[in-house]
Amino acid sequence: MTKASAVSAAVARPDHVPESLVCDFDMFHDPAYVLDPHKRIIDLVENAPPVFWTPRNGGHWVMLGHAANFEAARDTDSFSSEMVPYEQVEAILAALPPDTPHIPRAYPINLDPPNHAKYRQPLQGVFSPRTINVLKDSIRELARELVAEVADKGECEFMSAIAEPLPVRVFLKMLGLPLEKFAEYRALVKEHLSETSPEPASAILRLQKVAAAMRDTVLERRDNPRDDIISLLWKVEIDGRPTELEDIENYGVLLFIAGLDTVMQGIGHGVRHLAQDLPLQDKLRAEPALVSDATEELLRRYTFTVPPRRVARDLVFQGVQMKEGERAMLFLPGADLDPKEFPHADQFELKRDGKPHIAFNAGPHRCLGSHLARVELNIVYEEMLAGLPQFRIDPERPARFHGGHVIGVEELYLVWDK
Amino acid sequence: MKIRIDKAGCVGNARCAAVSEELFPLDDEGYIAIERIDVPPGKEDLARRGARACPERVIEIVEDDS
Repeated sequence: MTKASAVSAAVARPDHVPESLVCDFDMFHDPAYVLDPHKRIIDLVENAPPVFWTPRNGGHWVMLGHAANFEAARDTDSFSSEMVPYEQVEAILAALPPDTPHIPRAYPINLDPPNHAKYRQPLQGVFSPRTINVLKDSIRELARELVAEVADKGECEFMSAIAEPLPVRVFLKMLGLPLEKFAEYRALVKEHLSETSPEPASAILRLQKVAAAMRDTVLERRDNPRDDIISLLWKVEIDGRPTELEDIENYGVLLFIAGLDTVMQGIGHGVRHLAQDLPLQDKLRAEPALVSDATEELLRRYTFTVPPRRVARDLVFQGVQMKEGERAMLFLPGADLDPKEFPHADQFELKRDGKPHIAFNAGPHRCLGSHLARVELNIVYEEMLAGLPQFRIDPERPARFHGGHVIGVEELYLVWDK
Repeated sequence: MKIRIDKAGCVGNARCAAVSEELFPLDDEGYIAIERIDVPPGKEDLARRGARACPERVIEIVEDDS
C-alpha cells in the first residue's frame, strides 16, 4: 500500500498568530513523523512551543504540552467537538429530499454538552468495566487462536495477522453480527484506513456501507432480541424517546470508526515496542502480573490519537490569542511525552508511581471504549508473550507508519526462532 | 483519613476502582458511586494510590488531624 506522502501546501500566517508560535508540522505527511512517529513527537516536545500553529493542512493550532491538552479537553465551551455545529448539521440533513438514504453520524463523539450526554448515556452501561469483564474469556480465546496460527511460521506481518483481525472479531461478537460478515467488515476497515484525509462525500458513502452491512441484523434483533449490543440499543432511550433504526445505525458507525482502527493501532505500537525491548519481554514472561503496568506505560509512551476541536469563541488560551472558527488539535501524544508531567518522558518505565496518562483523552469525551481497549491490549500482550519465544522486528523489513488523527502502524514484520 | 470526590467531575476512567474496587465502588455505568469515603485503618496506602490514579484529578485525600 503506497500513499501520497506529499506535504500539504502552507497557508499564510494570520495576523494574530505571532511568528514565534509557528512550527511547520504536517500532521498527516511530515516526513520524519511518518518514518518514526513518536521519535518526531519527542523532537516536537523538545523544540516547539506548548501551543503552536502550523501552516499545513489549511492552518491549525496544535496543543502539544500536557497542560494545554488537559485544559482544552475539559473546556468544551471554548473547544467544540462539533467541527460543524449540531444545528447546522441537522438543518442540512433536514433539507435533503425525503427519499435520501440515511447519512449516519458518529454521535456522540462529535457533539458538545448537553447533547453529548444524551447520546452517550445509553452506551455507558454497555461499555462499563463490569460489562466488558464478561468478554475477557472469549477475547482471550480469539487472541490465542490468532497467535497459534502464526507460532510455527517463525515470522508474521503482525498488523494483518493479529492486530487487525482481533478487534474486528470482537466488534462482530459484541454487536452480535454474524461471523460471515468478517471479510466485509475487514474490507471496510481497510478502506477506512487507506483514507488519510477523507473527502466528505466518500466518507459518507463508506459510513453508509458500514450501516448497510449491519441493517439485516439490526432489524432482526428488534423483533428477536439476543444477548448483544444491537439488542440492548433497541431497549435504551435517548433523552426519553425510544431508539429508531437511524439511532442504531449511528451508534454502529460510531463503534466502527472509534473502536476498530484505534485498538488495532494501539496494539501495533505496543507490540512494536515489545519487539525492540527484549529485556522487557523476558521480565513480563517471568512475571505476567506486570503486563497491566506495561499496558499503561505503553499507552503513555505511544499515545496515538489526535482528536480535532473547533475554537468556539475568540479567546486567549494559555497566553495565546485564538479566533472563533479556527481548528485546534488535541495532540495527546505530546501531552503524554511532556517531561514537565512525566520525568524522563522518552523512557519506558514500568513503574511511574501510578501517575495517569491521558491516552484516552480527558474530560467528558474520555474514550467510551477505554475499558474494552485495555482488556484487548492486555490480552494481546499476554498471549503474544505466552505463545511465542522472544520476537523481534525483522531487520530486513522495518515498520512503516502513517500520521493523521490516529497515528498508525501500517506494517510490522516480526521474526522469532522456530 | 477521608476521601472526598468531586463526583460531577468523574468521567468514568475507573482507574481508582482498578486500584481498589472495595474503596472506590462504581455505579452501573462505570462512574464513581460515592462522594465521601471513610478510609478503614490499614487502607490508607490503597486510598492514596487510588486518588493518584485518577486522570481527572477529582479525588482528594483528607488526612486526619493528629
